[in-house]
Amino acid sequence: MRRIHLSLTLVIFLIAGHLLVCRAQDSAVGKNGMVATAHPLASQAAIEMLQSGGNAIDAAVAAAFAIGVVEPDGSGLGGGGGMVIYMKERGESFYINYYARASERGSESGYSGKNDAYTAKSICVPGTVAGLTMAHEKFGTLPLEKILEPAIKYAKDGFEIDATLARLILDNIETIMADEETMNIFCEDGFPRMEGDIIIQKDLAQTLNIIGKEGRKGFYEGELAEALVQGISDRGGVLTMNDFSSYKAQFTNPLYGTYRGYDIVAANAPQSGLCLIEALNILENFDLKKAPHYSESAEVLHLIAETQRFVWADRTAYLGDPRVSDVPVNELISKEYANVRYHQINRERLDPPRYRDVEEGNPLPFRKEKLTPIVEEEMFSGEGHTTHLSVIDKAGNSVALTQTLGLFFGSGQTVNGVLLNCAMTNFAYRTKSSVNLYKDGKQSRSSITPAIILYEGNPFLVVGSPGAARIISAVLEVIINIVDYAMGPQEANLAPRFFVRDSEDFLYMESGIKPEVRTILEKMGHTLRVTEGTDLFFGGVQLIYINPEDGKYYGSADKRRGGMAIGF
Amino acid sequence: MKRNPVKYFLLTALASLSLLTTAQTFQQPILISSAGQSADVKLVKMLASRENLDANTILMATPSDLEGIKTLIIVPGFSLKGLGAAGISQEDEMNRVEELVEAANRKEIPIVMMHIGGNARRKGQSDSFNSLIASNSKHMIVVAQGNEDNFFSDISNAKNIPLEVVEKISETGAPMSKLFH
Repeated sequence: MRRIHLSLTLVIFLIAGHLLVCRAQDSAVGKNGMVATAHPLASQAAIEMLQSGGNAIDAAVAAAFAIGVVEPDGSGLGGGGGMVIYMKERGESFYINYYARASERGSESGYSGKNDAYTAKSICVPGTVAGLTMAHEKFGTLPLEKILEPAIKYAKDGFEIDATLARLILDNIETIMADEETMNIFCEDGFPRMEGDIIIQKDLAQTLNIIGKEGRKGFYEGELAEALVQGISDRGGVLTMNDFSSYKAQFTNPLYGTYRGYDIVAANAPQSGLCLIEALNILENFDLKKAPHYSESAEVLHLIAETQRFVWADRTAYLGDPRVSDVPVNELISKEYANVRYHQINRERLDPPRYRDVEEGNPLPFRKEKLTPIVEEEMFSGEGHTTHLSVIDKAGNSVALTQTLGLFFGSGQTVNGVLLNCAMTNFAYRTKSSVNLYKDGKQSRSSITPAIILYEGNPFLVVGSPGAARIISAVLEVIINIVDYAMGPQEANLAPRFFVRDSEDFLYMESGIKPEVRTILEKMGHTLRVTEGTDLFFGGVQLIYINPEDGKYYGSADKRRGGMAIGF
Repeated sequence: MKRNPVKYFLLTALASLSLLTTAQTFQQPILISSAGQSADVKLVKMLASRENLDANTILMATPSDLEGIKTLIIVPGFSLKGLGAAGISQEDEMNRVEELVEAANRKEIPIVMMHIGGNARRKGQSDSFNSLIASNSKHMIVVAQGNEDNFFSDISNAKNIPLEVVEKISETGAPMSKLFH
């Protein structure tokens, strides 16, 4: 490692048995447990579980429920997500897909795309409660009621609005004001609450209480489900009691890949773990360790950017709900296919010269007909919704969990304290052919990419990010920074980021990319859009690095998101 | 809310004093526009409507939109989301705002700055817009949280521009209305 950069802003020593708790705004170190989330209170919730004898799954589930309360813009009971789990003691990895699914009668809602994003028409069946309770049932050790205690406390007693949430409330005030119940949470006297104000969510506390007592059933069956179905219907949406009662999270294998001797364990389809593995496979053809860092070399940045663009083209063409479509997962993450894609990249210039003209590859040489190229309209939300949290316990059990409401504040519709998702926005519309076309009961693809990287069977990196379309690039760049450039976790997280995809007109980057690099990139044909400093547009990576030499855990919370890593 | 009451009192007193020393009349019709494309401008639009002001809102107003306008209210605050929705870069936005301000000054249309976003619209990319608009305004209305470091007070003092500091966004409507009555 070049350097373990620790900028501890707050260190608290708690006499709790023999535990030493180390909290930091940006980074932390520990050897008995580590948590990194987008909010200090969510990190605190997880640490409380670890200190109570719970394992990483107990801690992750507690943090996931809590983050939905204290970072209500990014995730919550009304959303969904995905969770990569590594059980060190068993040497096994699992994936729980709890992303929202379309209603069995969703086509009756009349949802027509972008204009309906912030209405009840965009709501799909929420999966958060099913996913978190499934993880708890399979691997948890503490009672669910205890795990929900912090979330209930934050909802009932309130929490202080931080700078990130204050800004997001302002940015999304029209969405918030469109629904009275949502407005009552985030506004006072008809105007937005500001940084330092307290948000109390009594209805949400009551709903969380029911889940604590009754588990999954409490949310998906009975009075609460009836109230949610009715509330959504009153707002013009279509969800049925059967949608709720039949919703089940998927317990499945994760996707596996390798990168320079490390094992990659990532989210399975239709989430975007395959994009991460494909990108790493492509880059494995080039020795980044011997090259300058991308912030200092246009040639290197161009290679990584083109890798991102090619991967996005493949994602657009092939990634959809595998229950409905044939997704060539194994082909897309094969080393042979990555080698073909690598050699298709023009190292000298942007090729094809318009970002949008990039074509998908063909991972199925035996397929008779190449899939029809797709031009689809996707939402551009501007910033980086969703949330991610990483947890590891003393035994090395690890969880990388990313969950979302869709866009910031989801559909903007709140029922019984539950802010509901807008997952319909993730489907493809206005196109004749797409693997991601809407269908009743289907799950849209998603860019969430929680991942765990192992080295010789031991956790090496637990990582993930929010950030909409920037999730894949944020996770990819941080992994490269640590594995190839030997950066410490904090340095890797703070390094400037960039992003491009197949439906953009720009290569987006933070201003930490050197000006001379930008000049050369423009000569290579890139059109740049530079953001001064850092911005949550480029994600909010919450990561835990496990030093193979001393076994210590190093947590890093992305300053773009105002999170906190806590270790002990 | 975290607030220093002594500092707040002094700021308010200072603001009131500068109001007494500089008299500027403002007339309608009003054009409301953004500097930085934050959604704050939509709240000001709502406030103006509540106060029954004759105001039109154009998020990306250009000099040609100043035709017939007697007062220009600009709401500064950077939002990447807003820029994304508008399909423009930060540089594009700054160029537009600079042209708008220059045109208003040339036509002697007074600018009122309304900074309502508090800390969320300070520092970072927001302050270049804040500084430009505050320095070129004839009157400033600011929610106190955005002035905790005296950013706007300093500009007010240096340029003798009246500054009104209020506690909450909902309180900005009254001083805005008073300017026109």
